[in-house]
Amino acid sequence: MKGRPYIVVDRVCKSFGPQPVLREVSTQFRTGEVSVIIGASGSGKSTLLRAINRLEPHDSGSITIDGVPVGSDEATLQRQRIAVGMVFQQFNLFGHMTVLDNLTLAPRRIHKTPRGEANVQAMALLRRVGLQEHAARYPWQLSGGQQQRVAIARALAMRPQVMLFDEPTSALDPEMVQEVLDVMRELAHAGMTMVIVTHEMGFAREVADRVLFFDQGRIAHEAPPAEFFGQPASERIRAFIGRMGG
Amino acid sequence: MFLVPWPARWTRLQRSNATLVAALLLLVLFMAALGWLFSWLPEPIGSSARAFAQGTRTTLWLTLVSGAVGLALGTATALARTSRWVVLRWAARFYLWVVRGTPLLVQILFVYFALPVLAPSLRLPEFTAAVLALGLNAGAYNSEAIRAGLLAVPQGQTEAARALGLGRRHVFLDVVMPQAFKMALPPLVSNFVALLKDSSLAYAIGVVELTNVGNRLQAQTFQPIATLSTVALTYLVLTTLVTQATQAIEYRFDIEGRAQ
Repeated sequence: MKGRPYIVVDRVCKSFGPQPVLREVSTQFRTGEVSVIIGASGSGKSTLLRAINRLEPHDSGSITIDGVPVGSDEATLQRQRIAVGMVFQQFNLFGHMTVLDNLTLAPRRIHKTPRGEANVQAMALLRRVGLQEHAARYPWQLSGGQQQRVAIARALAMRPQVMLFDEPTSALDPEMVQEVLDVMRELAHAGMTMVIVTHEMGFAREVADRVLFFDQGRIAHEAPPAEFFGQPASERIRAFIGRMGG
Repeated sequence: MFLVPWPARWTRLQRSNATLVAALLLLVLFMAALGWLFSWLPEPIGSSARAFAQGTRTTLWLTLVSGAVGLALGTATALARTSRWVVLRWAARFYLWVVRGTPLLVQILFVYFALPVLAPSLRLPEFTAAVLALGLNAGAYNSEAIRAGLLAVPQGQTEAARALGLGRRHVFLDVVMPQAFKMALPPLVSNFVALLKDSSLAYAIGVVELTNVGNRLQAQTFQPIATLSTVALTYLVLTTLVTQATQAIEYRFDIEGRAQ
């Protein structure tokens, strides 16, 4: 088992109207650990990620990041969001800014980093995701895979302690999935704490320290990947893995 | 269209700047040379060139000032309508309901004649009354254009900005507003051009602007064709220059290269 518990989720519930999406979910994400969350769509995986950085406030239970509860206090929330990077299914790059400006906006506004220094740091990150030549381009000029790599670099620009990935390859054409997974694999090897919601079973098997299976708003099963995929705990999980081509 | 003649190798920003500078320069030149230009026209315009020039300046000034008021008011109203506070939303809706539901001429007359009766301290000079009424009117229409722009910015943009740890102010100023403004620009330009023409209604409370000057001369000389054609032509030149400048601004924001 890796590091200390960094994000602690304790009996978290969340409903959209009468529809419960998270039912008493409890788990911990430790530093340096790569957790992969899988499960059918609508099972609450994305909602849990969005509750962690409060894009979706939870109804009851508690979430703490490094010991501090996630709540509605704006100043605390901003500090927590700086520590927790997020990558979205739809990239959500700022369309009116160049790639470079997408990366430097947050450091310049939040840390008051001078533009020149922010640019140097951003270029280093772009080299890391292999896009240094595209710094002056606009998001619409890039492919989906390139946009998602920029989005990862943008999140890294704030030097987060944890990275949340919300189905980062689901909106991509098949031939672009690999380039994004390569960047994520490199991050995992560098020791980044990661929570990844994905349908990429091969990637989960290879990179995860633990796999969580969500079913109807609960964590139905949790195991290291070898065990999770080697001896599926239930018929339901076996069927799900089979459908996903694992 | 001024966007065309610039060298093909110029960038979008250079073309936009060039057009903007050219249009503004032409506007200033046109305004400065107005008295001289009018003096070359045949009678009865030539001898009233000074009055025409002064009227045109008043029209432009009236439009610029009430346009600025309208933009500020429109932005504030759009924000109020998307606000979390019910009272603000309600106040904004009430303002829109009244302004859009009544004629501009009635609003101008009301501000000038009725306000001082309600509160004697609100006895405003003609020009100020016209600015207030036109600004209130433009603000209502602008607010809908800006609100449409704000609503058109995808939710994901706000979420991504918040997830980076940006505060509300930066999320709005750096991410939402620039994209909303770009989408609101075409209707805002239409509103501004409409305002330029609607400023002629200030004539009803005695503001000596272009239409007023033309109509007075028409009544004195019984030469409606010459006088009113001059008035119409002057408006046409003004709206053309204004549209050129605003198209240059649109072009500047057109990072996807969709403008023709």
